[in-house]
Amino acid sequence: MTGNRFEMHEQTGDLAVGLLVLVLGLVGLVMASGALDDGIYVFGLSLAVFAVIFNFGLVRRHYDRQDARRTQEAGHV
Amino acid sequence: MSDVAFSPGTAATLAPARSRAAAAAVTEYNEDVVKKFLIAAMFWAVVAFLLGVVLALQLSWPVFNLGFEYTAFGRLRPVHTSAAIFAFGGSALFATSFYVVQRTCQARLFGGEALANFIFWGYQFFIVMAALSYVMGFSQSLEYAEPEWHIDLFLTIVWVCYAVVFIGTLAKRREPHIYVANWFYLAYILTVAVLHLGNAAALPVSFFEAKSFSLYSGVQAALIQWWYGHNAVGFFLTAAFLGMMYYFIPKQANRPIYSYRLSVVHFWSLIFMYIWAGPHHLHYTSLPDWAQTLGVVFSVILWMPSWGGMINGLMTLSGAWDKLRTDPALRFTVTAVGFYGMSTFEGPMMSIKEVNGLAHYTDWVVGHVHSGALGWVAFVSFGAIYYLTPVLWRRSGAYSVKLIAWHYWIATLGIVLYITSMWVAGIMQGLMWRAYDQFGFLQYSFAESVNAMHPYYVIRMLGGVMFLIGALIMVFNLIMTVRSSTTQASPMRVPANAAIAGE
Repeated sequence: MTGNRFEMHEQTGDLAVGLLVLVLGLVGLVMASGALDDGIYVFGLSLAVFAVIFNFGLVRRHYDRQDARRTQEAGHV
Repeated sequence: MSDVAFSPGTAATLAPARSRAAAAAVTEYNEDVVKKFLIAAMFWAVVAFLLGVVLALQLSWPVFNLGFEYTAFGRLRPVHTSAAIFAFGGSALFATSFYVVQRTCQARLFGGEALANFIFWGYQFFIVMAALSYVMGFSQSLEYAEPEWHIDLFLTIVWVCYAVVFIGTLAKRREPHIYVANWFYLAYILTVAVLHLGNAAALPVSFFEAKSFSLYSGVQAALIQWWYGHNAVGFFLTAAFLGMMYYFIPKQANRPIYSYRLSVVHFWSLIFMYIWAGPHHLHYTSLPDWAQTLGVVFSVILWMPSWGGMINGLMTLSGAWDKLRTDPALRFTVTAVGFYGMSTFEGPMMSIKEVNGLAHYTDWVVGHVHSGALGWVAFVSFGAIYYLTPVLWRRSGAYSVKLIAWHYWIATLGIVLYITSMWVAGIMQGLMWRAYDQFGFLQYSFAESVNAMHPYYVIRMLGGVMFLIGALIMVFNLIMTVRSSTTQASPMRVPANAAIAGE
């Protein structure tokens, strides 16, 4: 797999997984907001926090990859 | 031996031209997720063993319940079983299945880094949420399936992603052949999905309440639960770890599998038969007698395919038995296969009604489960982790082979203490419960049988402490393997995470 195709695959994966986790986080917030017991409240809030941290991780890895690519290209010049 | 013998390193013999072409194309494997799961496996191993010791202490001296509902035996027990099976065992399976499928298919994990990371973090999130919910008092009261509906649904999402990544990687493989370890992993992934969906089917009281009611009731609920429970053992704790065995024993022994044909025959027979054996958990209940007998018949037949795997694993060492003297990591794996053979003989024997009449509801069952869990599941995982750690972190070898040997002997002695004390305790319990005097009255009260168990419970606790000490030695050894300058990176012509022919 060439570098560009690899990067495209990774970006598509980031987007799909990021959206899935975003939806899960929103569901978590809705559950926590209407929770009638501690079980759902703790789970909902934790899911929302999990989603935020995970998606920040995706953003970080995206820029890490771009930095790595730029460094590699600079090395070839 | 007429059939073609395979090892993970000799698959290239199938299609040399294609393998040579594949060798030219170097693929970067996703080893990051394998490393994460490996670290998680060791972390959860220590948690699970520590909780086991706490529970054993509670059974020996009830004061260790501490008087809080959060630390009561009833709430901590599912935390221990889930930590051992799903957290430790599950993480070890994720790690090895992702490693093995990439290596034997010469393909990077399907779905990209983000999906693999979601599977890792999502699975860890599931474990923490499940444990937290048990401690808070939420449970479906189904053994090995305690999480309530919302946690079950979250696990389903993670598991579907796991199946997509594993099957996707198989689909884009560069090797024409699917190595047998992958068959076992695939059976475990698909069957666990079916079992989980079938057994966890429940209606929540509301979207905002954790409480739910099972779709099944009465004896049907019991049968569904033990269809799930027994096959959680059969597919999560047996088939998947056989997949681990089929990759790591040939790798550690540097020998091809004894008989590839036997591996295929015992795979299909094991998969077909295991699914029927669950009713043996419900002997002498309101389950129809024919269903109980069906469970016995399939359990006894299951002995043969189980031993097919054991024989194949042990015979793979033909001509390489000397390695057991010098490689304690291989000793773990091979001893695990021995314990597998012992447990899979004991299980069918205990399923026979006459034996079950003595064994059921006693500590013999606990001893049986732990000879499988500690001797088979934990030992084969330890062997694989000792093999993988230097490979993944590019180290020349383990920090201390002597410490691996110490771990091996301490843990083995711990298992022996554990299972022998539970055998004696269990048989004594069974005999005390059924003893009656010349007037037809029960000879012992239940409390007397509990009192008689005390010394065996203390011995069991000591066995657990030894197993925990062994795991702590392992954690120290692995950390030093990664960090110490004495295990500096081994020189390699190609990166160790690059696919090469026949790998």
